[in-house]
Formats: sequence, structure tokens, C-alpha cells
Amino acid sequence: MTDKINKEDTIICRCEDVSLADVEAAVESGITHPEELKRFLHVGMGPCQGRTCGLLITRILKQRGGSTETVKPTSQRPPFVSVPIKNFIGPEDE
Amino acid sequence: MNKSHDAIIIGGGIIGTATGYYLAAKGLNVLLLEKDYLTAGSTGRCITGIRQQFSTPATIQTAMESVRLFSHMKEELGQDVEWTNSGYLFLAHEESKASTFKKVIALQQEYGLDVRFISAEECRTIVPLLNTDDLLGASWCPSDGQANPFLVVKAYTDNIKSLGRTIRIGEEVVSLQVSGSRIQSLTTKAGNTYSAPIILNAAGPWAREVGLMAGVDLPVYPERHEALITDGVSYMNIPMLVDYRAEGGYFVQRVTGQFIGCYTPEKQVPGKNTESSLEFIVEMARRMCRLIPALENVAILRQWAGSYCMTPDGSPIVDETDVKGFFSSVGMSGHGFMLGPALGKFMADFMVDKSWPFDMKEFSFGRSFGAKEDMA
Repeated sequence: MTDKINKEDTIICRCEDVSLADVEAAVESGITHPEELKRFLHVGMGPCQGRTCGLLITRILKQRGGSTETVKPTSQRPPFVSVPIKNFIGPEDE
Repeated sequence: MNKSHDAIIIGGGIIGTATGYYLAAKGLNVLLLEKDYLTAGSTGRCITGIRQQFSTPATIQTAMESVRLFSHMKEELGQDVEWTNSGYLFLAHEESKASTFKKVIALQQEYGLDVRFISAEECRTIVPLLNTDDLLGASWCPSDGQANPFLVVKAYTDNIKSLGRTIRIGEEVVSLQVSGSRIQSLTTKAGNTYSAPIILNAAGPWAREVGLMAGVDLPVYPERHEALITDGVSYMNIPMLVDYRAEGGYFVQRVTGQFIGCYTPEKQVPGKNTESSLEFIVEMARRMCRLIPALENVAILRQWAGSYCMTPDGSPIVDETDVKGFFSSVGMSGHGFMLGPALGKFMADFMVDKSWPFDMKEFSFGRSFGAKEDMA
């Protein structure tokens, strides 16, 4: 099925505007570890922190023969959704 | 499987990949081994800053060469690595800091660095949003900058591959074989043995373990540091601000508009723990707003942690060890990304030609390790 869709127009990571064609080209060039894809393509590093692209990336890598050992979700980091800095700061200390 | 190479690099961070690239460019048959994934160690967790404002001759000259390499990376490696000379502003809030900076600036200027001490007022023209309360002035170097560590490592590895050399991801070195105080070969967890007359320890936070595999006890240890990045806002060209006060820290605006930064814990935290802590995010939020109050409306996107690979004096160990053919480029003490390109080039030259471009005794394996330098 993936052969029939327009890969340039199929967006995998909306935050960072990364298409299926971009991901496939990266995999083709030898990037097969999800943590490397995250770092080199910036997929999952935008405001949604991989909620959309994470599973898609995992599926693409698995379909291309990625091993269960390395193809798993990337590290999840707080605060999980963007939180304004002021929300972390309490009133000034005396 | 036993394969012979001209040189083997252990570690897929900035040090390993830069050195690997310069060796491959010299025509050597290089093999690079990374136990996890590229940039998994310190490189991929750094906050992207590249400075030349150091306080010792070898570090200043190395950093200046690195900046030259970063600024030509697009032409040399054929890829844009987001290099920008956004500058570094070292803030002085105390007389003693100001006089240290002025002394160090004189040394840096001897090597031709475009650095000078500027007034608090001038700081405000560079960063209009800066809170200049108690600020006496700053050490300002406009040619310092930033780049994307992921893209730099990718540029080096793509070039290593296009030169026909091999990078093996997920292959962990478990033992090194030494015979007659000369390095012979190494064996990986997968059971492969690779031999080479040159093997480089570029294992960052794991450098001590790798050294010990050859019986070389390197005085390096990992230290925990945390970092965070915000959402992007309009780019205001805010340089790396370094606040040396007790509750200081350092952060820069990335070319993406995001702010990225960290602070050095008051008390060293040894080890390789890369978990995130609530304490850090709250504390860092407060410290960033102390310098730029307007940041309170910017949102924090993500926090993480990584390891500095420390030496007792804060300078790296870049040298051949007492095992012939076994080299180390370790103990970057938080400066691996910024020094990496130049150290990669110097190390490749040293491995092949046995010479350094200038006196590198500060980084030597056999030195006696003294106290930390002023701006280390």
C-alpha cells in the first residue's frame, strides 16, 4: 500500500514537517535506529513530542526488517507537553 | 570473523566520528564501532555551544581551529550543520570575576581571538532583554557560536561511508588484546575480532572502562548534567549567556528560535544516570528568568540529562597511551562537541605523522593532573 501513496505528501511528523519520503531516504542511507532517526531528522522532537510520528516510525522500521531489540519507542522526556516557564516558578522568595 | 583494518575507533560521538573522518580522508581503512547508536553518549546531549574563550594556550588554539572547521563544514563535508556565530557572553557580576576575565582576555588576544571586555551597557545592546542588575560587564567573543551536534555527526559519518569505510552500530567492544605493550586487536560482544595497529578510545562517558580493557587506567569519570530546551520563539540572536554566580547557568537561543541550556550542579553528581529530575527544571526555569525575565512566557518543551566525561584538571587527554598504538581522546569535561572537529583532525595527523600542530602537553597522557583552570 505504501507504494501507491504520494510519499512526498505523506507527512509522518507534522511538527517538524518530515515526510514519508524523507524517512525512507534516511532509512535507505543506513539510519535504522529510532533514536538516530529522531536526532538526524528531528522526528518526534517538536511540540507533540512524538505522539503522532512515534508509532509510524516504529512501524516503518519494523516493516524494513528492524530488530525488536532496537526498534522501540524513543525516550520520553518531561514535561511531555510544553509548559510555560512561569508555571514552574513560584512567588519570589523573601 | 577476524578482519584487519588500518585503524579502529571506539565510539560514535563527535570525537570518534571526526577522527574517523580525518583518518578516512587520509586514505586509511578505518572501522568505527558504536555500541548503541550514533550520538548516544555526551555529544547528542550537549547544548550545542561552541566557544573559544578558554584560559590555556592549547585549548584556546584547539577551539579556534574548531571554529574555523565548523565555519567551513558546509564546503568540507557537503552538509549544512546549522553553524552560526552567535557569540558567547561571559557575565561578570563580581569584581574578582571581571579581573579574571580581563587577564584571560589578554592571553586569548595573544592568539588572535576577537574577544574583549565590554560594559553592562554594551551587553544590553547585544541582548536588550538582559537583566543587567549587578552586572559589571562581560567577556564577549562574537565569533563563538553554535551548531547542531546531530547534523555534525551525520555529516562526518556520511563522509566516512562515502569514502568506502565502515561504521558498525550496535557493536560493543568487550575486550582489547595487548601483546608486548602494543595494541593488537579487539573483540566485540557479537564475538567478532578486529585487528589494527591503531585503536582509538573515543568512548566518552565509558572511556575509563575501555581504557581498563587494555590495562590503561585513565583518570576520567562521568558526571551527571541536566539540560532543557524550550519551544521556538522569534529568533533574537541571543548569544550563549554564561552566568557564573552561585545560582547561575548557561543558555543560548538556537537558530530554530528555541532556548537550550543547563547549569552545573553545586555538588558534583558522579555516574551515568540520564533520568530527568523535577528539581532541575524548576531551578533552571528560575535561573533563566533571573537573566531574561521575558522568558517566563516561553514554554519548556523537553528536558534530559547526559554525562560530562571529566578529568581532574578539566582538560582532555588526547594522546597515545603507554600501550603502543592505543590512543585516547577522552575526558572532554563538557567541551567535546566544540573541540571535537579540531581534535579529530589533530589526532588523525598525530596517529599518522606523529606530530602536533602546537604544544599539546596540556592534553598529554602522562601529565600530572592539577587543579581546574579558570574558564575550564
